[in-house]
Amino acid sequence: MTPVAPNGGELSLALLAMGLPLLSFFLVFFVTRPRVTLSCAVSLVCSGLPLLAAIWLLAGHWRMEAPILWELTWMRGGGVAVTFGFLLDPLSLLMLCIVTGVSFLVQVYSLGYMAGDPGKAKYYAFLSLFAWSMISLVLASGLMQLYIFWELVGLSSYLLIGFWHHKFSASQAGKKAFVMTRLGDLGFFLGIIVLLLNLGDLSILGLNQQAATRLTPGLLTASALLIFCGVVGKSAQFPLLTWLPDAMEGPTPVSALLHSATMVAAGVYLVSRLFPFFQGSPQALGWVLVIGTVTMLLSSTMAMVASDIKQVWAYSTVSQLGFMFMGLGAGGYFAGVYHLTTHAAFKALLFLCSGVFIHHYATNDFFVMARSGARSLKVPMLSLTVAGAALSGVWPLAGFFSKETVLSALAELPNPAWLWLGLLGAGLTAYYTFRLLFVMWRPRRTQPPAGHAEHGEGGHHGAAVYWVMAAPLLVLAVLTALLGAAGPALESFLAWGRPLPPGAHHGWLVAASVVVVAAGAGLAWLEFGRAGAAQQGFLSRIPGLWNLFANRWYLDWLYRWLLDHVVYGLFSRLFTLNDRRVVDGGIDGFCRATLGAGWLLSLLQSGLLQYNLFTMVLVMALVGLYFLLV
Amino acid sequence: MNPGFPYLSAILLAPALGLLVILLLPHDNRRAVRWVSLISAGVCLILSIYIYAAYDRAAAGLQFVERASWVPSLGIFYYLAVDGINLPMVLLTSIVFFTGVWTMWDLQHRVKEFFALMLLMVVGVYGVFLSLDLFFLFVWYDVSLFPMYPLIAIWGSTRKEYGALKLTLYLLAGSALVLPGILYVYFQSGLFTFDLVQIAQAGLPVEAQYLGFFLFLFGFGVLAGLWPFHTWSPVGHVAAPTAVSMIHAGVLMKLGAYGVLRVGMFLCPQGLADWSPLFALLATVGIVYGAFVGLAQTDLKYVIGYSSVSHMGLVSLGLATMSVGGISGAVFQMFAHGVMTALFFSSVGHIYDRTHTKLIPDLGGMAKVMPRASFFFILAALAGIGVPCLASFWAELLVFIAGYQAYPLLGVCAVLGLVISALFMLRVVQKTFYGEKNERFAAAPDMTPAMALPRALLAGTILLFGLLPRLALDLIDTGVAPLVGMFK
Repeated sequence: MTPVAPNGGELSLALLAMGLPLLSFFLVFFVTRPRVTLSCAVSLVCSGLPLLAAIWLLAGHWRMEAPILWELTWMRGGGVAVTFGFLLDPLSLLMLCIVTGVSFLVQVYSLGYMAGDPGKAKYYAFLSLFAWSMISLVLASGLMQLYIFWELVGLSSYLLIGFWHHKFSASQAGKKAFVMTRLGDLGFFLGIIVLLLNLGDLSILGLNQQAATRLTPGLLTASALLIFCGVVGKSAQFPLLTWLPDAMEGPTPVSALLHSATMVAAGVYLVSRLFPFFQGSPQALGWVLVIGTVTMLLSSTMAMVASDIKQVWAYSTVSQLGFMFMGLGAGGYFAGVYHLTTHAAFKALLFLCSGVFIHHYATNDFFVMARSGARSLKVPMLSLTVAGAALSGVWPLAGFFSKETVLSALAELPNPAWLWLGLLGAGLTAYYTFRLLFVMWRPRRTQPPAGHAEHGEGGHHGAAVYWVMAAPLLVLAVLTALLGAAGPALESFLAWGRPLPPGAHHGWLVAASVVVVAAGAGLAWLEFGRAGAAQQGFLSRIPGLWNLFANRWYLDWLYRWLLDHVVYGLFSRLFTLNDRRVVDGGIDGFCRATLGAGWLLSLLQSGLLQYNLFTMVLVMALVGLYFLLV
Repeated sequence: MNPGFPYLSAILLAPALGLLVILLLPHDNRRAVRWVSLISAGVCLILSIYIYAAYDRAAAGLQFVERASWVPSLGIFYYLAVDGINLPMVLLTSIVFFTGVWTMWDLQHRVKEFFALMLLMVVGVYGVFLSLDLFFLFVWYDVSLFPMYPLIAIWGSTRKEYGALKLTLYLLAGSALVLPGILYVYFQSGLFTFDLVQIAQAGLPVEAQYLGFFLFLFGFGVLAGLWPFHTWSPVGHVAAPTAVSMIHAGVLMKLGAYGVLRVGMFLCPQGLADWSPLFALLATVGIVYGAFVGLAQTDLKYVIGYSSVSHMGLVSLGLATMSVGGISGAVFQMFAHGVMTALFFSSVGHIYDRTHTKLIPDLGGMAKVMPRASFFFILAALAGIGVPCLASFWAELLVFIAGYQAYPLLGVCAVLGLVISALFMLRVVQKTFYGEKNERFAAAPDMTPAMALPRALLAGTILLFGLLPRLALDLIDTGVAPLVGMFK
């Protein structure tokens, strides 16, 4: 499809969406920071207007014919040109709405959550930076622009995860997130270089249309896999998945942002963005499928034993992202994107609900929350239940429909094992989600409930704060309930309004997935829900598995070991020793030798007359001897 | 070409005049000494910005030319001119010089001597960057090197005599290779002129270029921190006082790389072709090695010193690729690294002045004690790990692309260095600035707004060139393109 240039309205709306958050960042960070209320207002306006622009653009282009492209040259040097611009097509418009929507809701919610925090203005500046990077990533017209904002998204999440950097764990988590995603980004960067040198064209449209025909299959697979390395890092896929659970050290609204619409979603977005390009290489898609599956299963098992509410959702994010990659890897473009959309709504909701509890009870442990009377917070508790049900795929919530599309994509694969693994994952998801919900709804009153006065700040803020935080929950809960019905409309929108090929309908698949979800939820009921349940779970009776899952399959341990023994212990130490002993030692030795030689020769110049005479006579005698003999 | 006002001579003369005035001032009038230095630096800065803006990018080539015969019988000329390669360097020198003087405002010990030596050094630096005559270039080169010894040995810290001696010996050893190189070229060309442009246009015999480039590569390479001749630089950085570290790491190391480029590569393009695999290998080793050694350091200034080794490796790698992208990237990296490292040292300088330590384990939690100083350091660290929209990102981008194209294996290794550098920079940031508020230094004052201004100027430069890279690259390309034409 040949792109068209934007008209004036489209140009100004898109630039507004891209520009305002940056403006807000500079304004808040450098100018209004001392005045907190003003800073929040600036930031909210600058994230609300892009949302309106996004909705306006989406509504205006519900039936679009051709992508809209606008770019200018950002950098040019040595034959390499980097463009900056935007590409509007169904995928980017949908994603733009998700990103601006979630980030606006998170900013509203943070008014309450961060009330009284001394760094609130700075926090809003970072949120704006985050929004700017993500919006520019989503709208990027070229791969290099996408990479640049990909890195900036990484930077913003580093700043926000480590926002409470006086806590060691927070600064550690920020660093870990940055370095681990950077590791994956190396692959991405090399992939871009390979494409640049072999194709010379990094525009997204060009890559999608021509890469498959202009590159050799080997190069295509290599570059696709290299780019996927970046995705593995950013979307916390196996083996680079352990940074995401740690990333919940940041304030909870940040986790909501990070886990739903920005950062980790960027990876899924990139694969969807370049989907025709990835489709050119079946091997690459095969790897996407494998990595997605492994990640989904591993992280589901980790979620089954976690007792920290944010950690459960963090593992579930990793696993749902794996699920999206399974869909994409199986060739289901719509499956991946649709699940990304619904997931953004219900995952943001899950984190924001959890934030209310954490804020209120000053603990992350949901067993403790339940005992302290979490049930009494009606809006968050109901929203949490709706979102949890959506996550497990309960009809008629959004998660049910999007999960169904992914499973149907898996069912199209010749090997039935993928579908079984997908169903297994769905069952595990239902188990750990309902485990948490049952614990929250049906607390065991083994201890007297702890009042929140002794737990911290929760009770002091009053109703205003509660409602500022509850309002976004209601919006998201409505979306979670309704997005399921929007599936067919979205599918035709993403397919440019063209009639869809009649997909095989798997009636038995719906039944199978309902059974699996019911089984998972039922097991959770038996162990956590029913009266008199021990609330311990079958895994606690298998200590080997419990430890394996609770220690994240020892992946962190492996990284720690590699870091300590290879990076620090081997290379860093050896090179430092080499610097001190060999390079410097050599030079110092040389200098000492020079000094020593000088000292030795200085002995000749003793200034004593008899030695000088003696030497003179000796030399004359030797010269005479020489002439005599020769 | 530009008959009119001799801007380049004015840039050279401003610090020289300042030096003269300072020498005439009474010893105890510190105020006057500071103001004279700052004014001469300000004049340089304004003139540099003017010629940077006024340089005609469409016409390209040498502009603002001033050429006069000095010693006709030997072919020595007073020959100043700027093109896309040295113009960014002149601007860099002015920025670092101006902010360096301002940073040292509170110096109390032997103020007159300090600023006099600093001005002398800067005259030399401008001389090297502006001269296109080999004789003058070498003279200015040595003028810029020798004030380092007293500056470090008198006003320095941490093993200052050792550091000063080591640095001086290394750099003199380097110039001991450069001088024969220049004489060799002078006689081999058969023109008996020191005019660099004339020799380059006539071209040297191919066999002479082999030895010629070798001499220039290792002679100037020592100053550029080329591995394994780099150990003088961290030691010297650590020992030097703040402004001297800024000029030293920010500008002097660039003199080395500039010398390799302007003298070595212009005069001996064929020699570069012969030596480039070795050059690229040493550069890549420097990139990775510097990052790994930096990981093990506990002194803030050592960390920055090794990051400089790593970043200057990128400059060398860019030069060794012999492509427009690589060399443009290298020149831009010289500029970006100069500003960044000046910001590093000036932030550390403040922390050291107030806490009297620069050992990372002693610090910690400084972000709460000194928010301004911490902000500037962290910004420099982010620039150092190649965060987009900060100047060095673009430079590294170009160098990596060109490096991968010319030497795929080395290119991949160099890119791996990115992770290590991210790890060590963030580690330093975490250990020094994050954590609970450091009670031991709770009373240590942050930068006053007046002292934050020069740092803000550096930070603003990083941001400006990061957001608008064409400001530099469109210019640099015009200087590099004709050079690359000579390789063919």
